[in-house]
Amino acid sequence: MLQYTLRRLLGMIPLLLLISLVVFFLAKMMPGDAFAGEIDPSNTNPQYIEEMREKLGYNDPIIQQYGRWIVSFVQGDFGKSTVYKKPAAEIIVQRIPNTIFLAFTSLVITYIFAFIMGMYAGRKPYTLGDNLIGTYNYLALAIPSFVAGIVAIYFFSFKLGWFPFNGSVGVGLEPGTLDYFVSKLHHVLLPALILGLMGTASYTQFLRNDIIENSRKDFVRTARAKGTKESKIYNKHILRNSIIPLITFLGFDIATLISGAVITETIFTYPGIGALFLESVGRRDYAVMMSITMLLSLLTLFGNLVADLLYGVVDPRIRLD
Amino acid sequence: MTLVTDQEVLTPKSPKKSPSPWVIARRKFFKNKLAMISLLFLLIVIILSFLAPYITTKDIVRVDFTKISQPPSSENWLGTDTNGRDVFTRMLYAGRSSLTVGLSCMLFIVLIGTTVGAISGYFGGKIDQILMRFTDFVLMFPFMVFVIVLNSIVVGKISGLWTLIIVISLLAWGGVARVVRSRVLAEKENEYILASQSIGCKSSKVITKHLLPNVASTIIVQATLIMAVTIVAESGLSFLGFGVPADTPSWGNMLFEARNSDVLKDKLWMWVPPATAITLVILSINFIGEGLKDALNPKSRR
Repeated sequence: MLQYTLRRLLGMIPLLLLISLVVFFLAKMMPGDAFAGEIDPSNTNPQYIEEMREKLGYNDPIIQQYGRWIVSFVQGDFGKSTVYKKPAAEIIVQRIPNTIFLAFTSLVITYIFAFIMGMYAGRKPYTLGDNLIGTYNYLALAIPSFVAGIVAIYFFSFKLGWFPFNGSVGVGLEPGTLDYFVSKLHHVLLPALILGLMGTASYTQFLRNDIIENSRKDFVRTARAKGTKESKIYNKHILRNSIIPLITFLGFDIATLISGAVITETIFTYPGIGALFLESVGRRDYAVMMSITMLLSLLTLFGNLVADLLYGVVDPRIRLD
Repeated sequence: MTLVTDQEVLTPKSPKKSPSPWVIARRKFFKNKLAMISLLFLLIVIILSFLAPYITTKDIVRVDFTKISQPPSSENWLGTDTNGRDVFTRMLYAGRSSLTVGLSCMLFIVLIGTTVGAISGYFGGKIDQILMRFTDFVLMFPFMVFVIVLNSIVVGKISGLWTLIIVISLLAWGGVARVVRSRVLAEKENEYILASQSIGCKSSKVITKHLLPNVASTIIVQATLIMAVTIVAESGLSFLGFGVPADTPSWGNMLFEARNSDVLKDKLWMWVPPATAITLVILSINFIGEGLKDALNPKSRR
């Protein structure tokens, strides 16, 4: 297991180098000067610009430029943001907690709702309740998250006034106080509910089908024959078996949540990584854009690894080697 | 004495020919009410959208400052937007771009994915290794992020919708390739493939004539899923302002107006129609996909 993990982690290095190559050349191909952050834009003297270009090495062969970028990137120097006039790493680190908080809250919501609905539907299949849950699943799969987000803002923020519709925390609150935390939770709840509730469909469907399938198995018949209570059969005997495969979804969710965050964060003007990414593309802030792209690629790879590892953990029949 | 021809011996005179798998599938699909309603709805939307220039005569490009943000009336059925353009007319034209993106991406993705998957699965060995590593590499990119980056590079060089279609197609074929490959791997072990190989069929012929028709059901179901996904991707990107150029109406571009909280709060007629259209189209595509999956599955009896 440990050996496998280490090997997979080592295997990620060439992949990341390949991605970095792609990201670098994409950034080079984008209109404008990808690394012009150091040049003072107000000084339009062509001689000054030429001098700066020479000094910063923009006239070097492209391979050399790539080498320089990747070396400093690995050392933690992500370049300087042209918009914020700060190191890119600093801005990203500022935003990361918000995104993680949103992702975590929405995951918790997904799990809770999928659990309740899946268990109910699996226990009473082909009843009214099951059909309602099935209908909800179809709708949740069909409604894009941004449409759901817009509708939610309209109803819950504008009509009912229950939730704020922008930002991640109220104005003028001291970090560390209880009020601050409550306000943060209040701000994150609506986007998290949207992301979370839209993501339940596959979990619910899976849990339902697995419970139905398991309830026909021999061990359930044995339990019934012993006179075990029906609730105990479902909550203990069946659930324990059905829940295992669900855990493996977690790895893939990491990637999905990040992609989803780009859209959701923008709708709710929630200051996270996704919103920062869009802003950096829109305002041609290359250092930030490249760093976030690398970061998200790394997370996707990591998510796939987690999924593979969890397969092995929950199902001992799968040998990872 | 009457001569019995070979033909008669080989085909006994039973008047009833048993239906082919495609006929069975079609019958099953036609019986599925939900899928049929969805198909009908989708066809109506497609026809309305693509005949837009013949249905309405209103100009979608001209900005009319005398009619900014008017609520629905008998003249403008769904009101006008913040630039004084008729929302209903824009809806039709927007449907045209959104559906064009969905249909073309579906075509390209299925084409690339099937080619890569079939070649990889059929030949195996080194070719399989190389192609699948490449597929893994493409699948590894976070989709949204790279579509946005690529789109901002290509935008302006290729006109209008095609930028987005090409970018989405290039990044999204990996899943289809994997599915097709795994089906081909299973299918090529059958005797009829060996038979066609042994009578000297060229590989290209074995794949296109024998292998692919037997994998078609999987590909068709994948195609419907892809169409739904790409329409969502298109409208999502346009909504963010990174998709279809702003001068081309698309459902996502129309929703872009809802990012203005004034429009979102008080001018429902501008964003409810495109939101409804996207949802209903995706829903109907999903139902059609579900119906096809059911109809093409020989084990399901309905």
